[in-house]
Amino acid sequence: MRTSKLAQTTAALVLVACACAIIAFGFSYRGPLDRPNPYLSRATTDTGATNLVAGIYLDYRLYDSLFELLVFSVAVLGVRFYLGTTRQSPNTKAIPESQAVRASADLLFSPILLIGVYLILFGHLSPGGGFSGGAVAGTGLLLCAVALGAETVARRFHSTQLELFEWGALFVVLLLVLIPLIFGLSPFTDLLPRGAPGELLSGGTLLIYNVLIGIKVFVGTWVVISTFIRHRGEI
Amino acid sequence: MTATALLLLLPPIAIFALASRRRLTAVMSMGLLSLILAAVYLLARAPDVAITEAAIGAALVTLIYLLAIRRSGRLSVVCSEVPQLFFREGKRFDGLEHEILAGFAHELGLDLVVSILPHSELREALGRGEAEIAAGGIIPGEQSRSVLCTTGFLPTAVFRITGEGHIPHSHSDVLDYMSDTLDAIRSRRLASCDLDLARFIPVSRLDLTGYTVQRLEGREASYSFLVASDRPDLRDRLTTHIESLKESGELERMIARYLR
Repeated sequence: MRTSKLAQTTAALVLVACACAIIAFGFSYRGPLDRPNPYLSRATTDTGATNLVAGIYLDYRLYDSLFELLVFSVAVLGVRFYLGTTRQSPNTKAIPESQAVRASADLLFSPILLIGVYLILFGHLSPGGGFSGGAVAGTGLLLCAVALGAETVARRFHSTQLELFEWGALFVVLLLVLIPLIFGLSPFTDLLPRGAPGELLSGGTLLIYNVLIGIKVFVGTWVVISTFIRHRGEI
Repeated sequence: MTATALLLLLPPIAIFALASRRRLTAVMSMGLLSLILAAVYLLARAPDVAITEAAIGAALVTLIYLLAIRRSGRLSVVCSEVPQLFFREGKRFDGLEHEILAGFAHELGLDLVVSILPHSELREALGRGEAEIAAGGIIPGEQSRSVLCTTGFLPTAVFRITGEGHIPHSHSDVLDYMSDTLDAIRSRRLASCDLDLARFIPVSRLDLTGYTVQRLEGREASYSFLVASDRPDLRDRLTTHIESLKESGELERMIARYLR
């Protein structure tokens, strides 16, 4: 008992030390500075996005992001598939939460959702984007689950319609990626006008991708959590 | 400079999260870790990563952990109050059984949540899934299928007190609350009653003229805990815990502290 505990502690400490070393190394790394990065000068005119990060992962590297989205979908699918075979747990009694938690959840839910939507819509102009915006909005829903009891929130949100949204978003993304084939162009080509950089309606398809990815991540987060709740009683 | 200072804060917080026995403390320090990491990302001029780290690491994961530990982070116990074994002192609980269970909960890294119930309702409460463990001077009689029973931790004896001149055979077990039992004996209302040792000691200090007291022979009994029938794992761990207390002599010291 005691030796295994010692081994566990040692392993944990070694892991923490390794992680610290990697982080420290990452922050000291400055990259090759001898030649200027071509993306820095070209990205805004190429993609129309003032947030270069969004320009890179939704335009130059859209192929990578598409598979990232597919990985997320497979994860959601896996949770639903493997938990779907287990029996649905009987209604467990919700644990009442303190008044302070409920009040702060009421107060914070709308601002959090709003910040999520802002991050999604302005992802091509300022830091943010579909992935982080969707996660922020999902957090708002989870906060409600903590305050009101997950069962109540699960009942209020109709899962079947939400699932439709989730797969619909993925379908539209795949469609958008393949549409250029009709015009004889290679897939992943951005057909929409770039617009004036800095305006909301600019950056070609970036805004559409951000919205779709945001919906996908928001719904996916909730589907995973509510599936756990429905089939295991709690997470 | 600030980034380096914040980075240096991370390992101590991580070690604290790993080392803390209470789950809520561990979850909260994990959230703090993510929040500081997000600040570091921001200072390193990576606001996109900082936003994602704050949303997922500090908020989403912390909330999922909170939802997960709200049920599994507690060890819920129902008990009836018994002098020396499990009693309330102000807002706190004390007693031999409480000390055993508190140590057990600490070993599992759980918070002990106690609710008081009448003695006769303990088994039903376990059956309804309202609690995982029942305590409070329980002598497991005939093995019922609805609850599990741990090993005994303290041998006891059963005393029967019978009031003379009362209706015979209207035999009741221990009344629901200890204070009711004492009141009933004081006002000579109690016809007959079986009391275990812990309950008998305060009764024996009363004026028992008019009652006959008899130690029931052939009922070798010892106190133990009841565990909900769907938690055989918990029963085994509690039994192991009691056995290890016996082996180390700690149980002997506890009994001496509370009962002598």
